[in-house]
Amino acid sequence: MANSMKIALAGNPNSGKTTLFNAITGSEQYVGNWPGVTVEKKDGILHGHKEVVIQDLPGIYSLSPYSIEEKVSRRFLVEERPDAILNIVDGTNIERNLYLSTQLAELGLPMVMAVNMMDVVKKNGDSIDFAKIAKALRCEVVGISALKKEGDMEAAELAVALAKKSAADKGPNKLPDVPHVFSGSVEHAIAHIEESIQGKVPARSIRWYAIKIFERDREVIKDLGIGVGEMKHLEEHIRDCEKELGDDAESIITNQRYDFIKSLMNRSLALNEKRHSKATLSDRIDKIVTHRILALPIFVVSLCAMWWLAVAEKGPGTVLTDWANDEFLADGWHLPFTTHEVDGKDYDAAKEDFAKAEATVKAWEAGEKKASIEDEETGEVADEWDIDEAAYKAAKEAEEPDPSKYGVWVPGIGALITGALERAGVSDTVKSLVVDGAWGGVATVLGFVPVIFIVFLFLAFLEDCGYMARVAFIMDRLLRKFGLSGKSFIPMLIGKGCGVPAVMAARTIENERARRMTVILATFVPCGAKTVIIAMFAALFFREQWYVAALMDVVGIAIIIFGGMALKKTRLFSGEASSFVLELPAYHMPTVSGVWHHTWNRLKGYILKAGLIIFPACVFLWFVMHFDWSLNLLGDEEIEKSILHDLGSWIAWFFAPLGFGSWQGAAASVSAEIAKEQATATLGLVAANMGGATTGANIQAFFASISAFPKLAALSFMLFNLFVPPCMVAVAVTFREMGAKKWGWFAVAFQLFVGYVISLNAYRLGVLFAGGGFGFWTAVAILVDLFCLWMIFRPAREERKRQ
Amino acid sequence: MNVASIVVLVAVLTFAALAVRRCLKKGMPCECGGSRKGTGCSCGCCCNGGK
Repeated sequence: MANSMKIALAGNPNSGKTTLFNAITGSEQYVGNWPGVTVEKKDGILHGHKEVVIQDLPGIYSLSPYSIEEKVSRRFLVEERPDAILNIVDGTNIERNLYLSTQLAELGLPMVMAVNMMDVVKKNGDSIDFAKIAKALRCEVVGISALKKEGDMEAAELAVALAKKSAADKGPNKLPDVPHVFSGSVEHAIAHIEESIQGKVPARSIRWYAIKIFERDREVIKDLGIGVGEMKHLEEHIRDCEKELGDDAESIITNQRYDFIKSLMNRSLALNEKRHSKATLSDRIDKIVTHRILALPIFVVSLCAMWWLAVAEKGPGTVLTDWANDEFLADGWHLPFTTHEVDGKDYDAAKEDFAKAEATVKAWEAGEKKASIEDEETGEVADEWDIDEAAYKAAKEAEEPDPSKYGVWVPGIGALITGALERAGVSDTVKSLVVDGAWGGVATVLGFVPVIFIVFLFLAFLEDCGYMARVAFIMDRLLRKFGLSGKSFIPMLIGKGCGVPAVMAARTIENERARRMTVILATFVPCGAKTVIIAMFAALFFREQWYVAALMDVVGIAIIIFGGMALKKTRLFSGEASSFVLELPAYHMPTVSGVWHHTWNRLKGYILKAGLIIFPACVFLWFVMHFDWSLNLLGDEEIEKSILHDLGSWIAWFFAPLGFGSWQGAAASVSAEIAKEQATATLGLVAANMGGATTGANIQAFFASISAFPKLAALSFMLFNLFVPPCMVAVAVTFREMGAKKWGWFAVAFQLFVGYVISLNAYRLGVLFAGGGFGFWTAVAILVDLFCLWMIFRPAREERKRQ
Repeated sequence: MNVASIVVLVAVLTFAALAVRRCLKKGMPCECGGSRKGTGCSCGCCCNGGK
C-alpha cells in the first residue's frame, strides 16, 4: 500500500466517531444514533492527505477484551500500532469518556483528543479547560462539532502533524511521556512489571502492558508468553498491593482511574450549576417517552403515524404512489392547473364513458343484452345497463379520449416506451417482453418508492433526534421480562432497513446462544424490501384499513418476543439474558442534510436493485412464462402450457392451505427469495393477463379469481412473504454468522415454520370468522396454535429441572 | 422478426446479462446502493466500505 500513515479513530460508542470519519474522509458510512453500529473497523483516506489512512474503530468503553468491539479495537491499537490516535470524546459526557482516554494515553502513541459536541457544551453554558486535560493526559486536546463540521479537519491534521513529529523526534522505541494516574504502591508494582517485560513489548507501550499484567489480563499474559515462574514473582508484587489496598487488582486500577478523572474534572470542567440543578429538556422528554406505562403506547402511536403517512387513503404516501403507478410510470398525467373540460366532461369522465362503450361492444358481440363493468378489487358488478343495437353502434363509433385535449399532457415512462416500440415497428412478442416483462416488473417496484421514502424519512428523523435509542431501551425492558436481552434489539432496529447488516450486527452479542437466537429473529422485523410488499397490498386491498400496514411491524415484534420465549425454553437456547448497557444520547433537532443523507442512502439501494436484480429476474420470468418445454413461443392464451406454469403448479399444493395455491402465487412467493420486492414484480407479471386496466387491477383480479375471500388470500400472501426466510443474500449471511450449516438450516426451518403458521392462521381462521366454514386446514391451524402456545408458555428449562 | 425487434431483444438481453454479471462479480447490491463484495457499501453489510 502506498499510504504510509495510519490514524486510528477511537472513542466511546455513540460519541460521533463515524460522523467525524465521514466528514474527514468523504465516506458515507452508516451513522446510527445508538451504540454498536460500527462492528468492524473501516478505513478511509483523509481529505487532502493521500498518504494518510483513517481507521474508524468500533465504539468501546475500555481496552478490556470483554466484547467483540473491544477485541477488534484493542487488537488494532496494540498489534497494528497506528501512527497516531484521534480519540473522539463526547464533551457532554466527558467524565465517563475519559476512562477510555486514560487507557489510550497509556499506549504511548501520539494522541489528539477531539472533544466533540462543543456546540452543545457551549449552549449549556459549560466550559472545559483543554490545557489542563492536555497536561494531565500528555496529549493534544481540541474542541470540535462533528455534526456541524467544525474543527474536524483541524483535529485530523493535528494528529497527522503529531505523528510526523513523533516519528522524527523520538523513533518507535523511545519511552513516551505517559500519564501516571495511580497511587504509590500501584506505581511501584507496575514499575516492577515494566522491568520484567522490557524487550518483550514495544518500549512505547510498556506501561499499558504492565498495567494489563497487573490486572491479570489473560490475553496479554498469554501473548507475551510469561511463564508460571515469572508470573509467580510478579504475583507477589500484585498481591502485596491488593493486601495494602484491600481490593482486587482490576478493581484497584478501575477505582484509581476514576479518582484521577474525578480530580482532573474538578480542575478542568466548569458546569453551569443553574442549568444542571434542574432537569434538562431531554430528561423531561424521557420522563414521558420512557415512562413505564406510556412508553409502549407512544412507540405504537409513532409506528402508526409513520404508516398512516405512508399508506392511509388520501395520505401523502398513497397520493404519491397512485401518481407514480398510474401516471408517472404508466400512461402520463396532466400538469396541475392546466386541465379543462371538453363537451362538459373532464378527462376521467370521458375515460369512464369510453370504458362503458368498450364493455357495450364486447357484450353485444358476445350475444348478451346487458353490459356491465366489474369492480376490479372485489370482482363484483359495479355498474350494469341494458344494451341494444343502437347502443352498440354508438359505442362502436366511440373514440378513446385524447388526453392532450383536456390539458397539458405529460406522457408517462410506460407510454413513452410503448410509443417508441410501436413507432420502431417492434413485434408484439418483443413489445410484451419489454413492456409487460422487464419494464412491468421494474415499474411495479419503483411505483412504491414514495411509500419507502416516507417510511425511511420518518425512521431517519426518529433515529437522528435520538428517539430510536429510547426504543431500544423500552424494548430492553419489555424483552427482559421474557428472558431476552435488549442487546438483541439493536440488530432488529438495524433490520428495519435491511436484514443483512442486522444479522451481522448480532456479532456484538458475546453469548453464543443469544447471538444465534438474535440472528434467527432479527429478520422478522419487516425490512425496506418487505416495505414494498406491505405498500402494495396496503394500496390494493387495505386502503381503508391503513393500520394493517402498521400491524405488520407489530406482528414482527410479537414474533420476536414469542419466538424468543419459545426458543429460550429449549435446550439449545436456554440461559440467562446477557446484560445490556445503553447510553441514551441527548435529544436534538436533526439536520435536514443528516435526515436526507440517511433516507437517500437507503432509498438509492432500492432504485439500484430494481435495475440490477428485478430487471433480469423479470426478463427471465417472462421467458419461462412465454415458452413451453419444447421452447415454442406461446401466445397470451397459451400461458398454461408454459414452463413457469408447470414449475409453479408442481409446488402450488404447498400454498393451497394458505389460500393462494395457484401457480402464480407459488411463482411469486418462490421468486421473492431473489429479493423480497421481487414478489410484487412477479405478481404484476403473472397477473398481466387478468384483463385489468392497470397492474394493480390485475393483481386484485388475480386474488379475486383464486379465492372467494380475496382480501384474506392477499393478507395471507403478504404475511407469508414477510415472515418466511428473508432474501437469499440474508439467508447466506445467516448461514455464515451461525457458524455451522446445521444452525443455518435450523434458522431457515424455524423462519419457514413461523411464516407458514401465521399465514395459515390468517387465512383459515379469517375464512372461519367470515362465514366460510370449518375445514380440515382450520383444524390443523388450531392444533398448530395449541402446540405453539405450549412451546411459548411451558415452564422454563431450569424450572422444569427443579420440578 | 424484423430488425428493430432483434435490436430491442439484443439490447434487453445484454442489459440483463450485464446486470447479472455485475451481481456475480461485485455481489448483490446492498441496502445503501453499494455492493457486498465491492466498494461503496455504507450500511454495514460488508466490511470493505469507505474505501
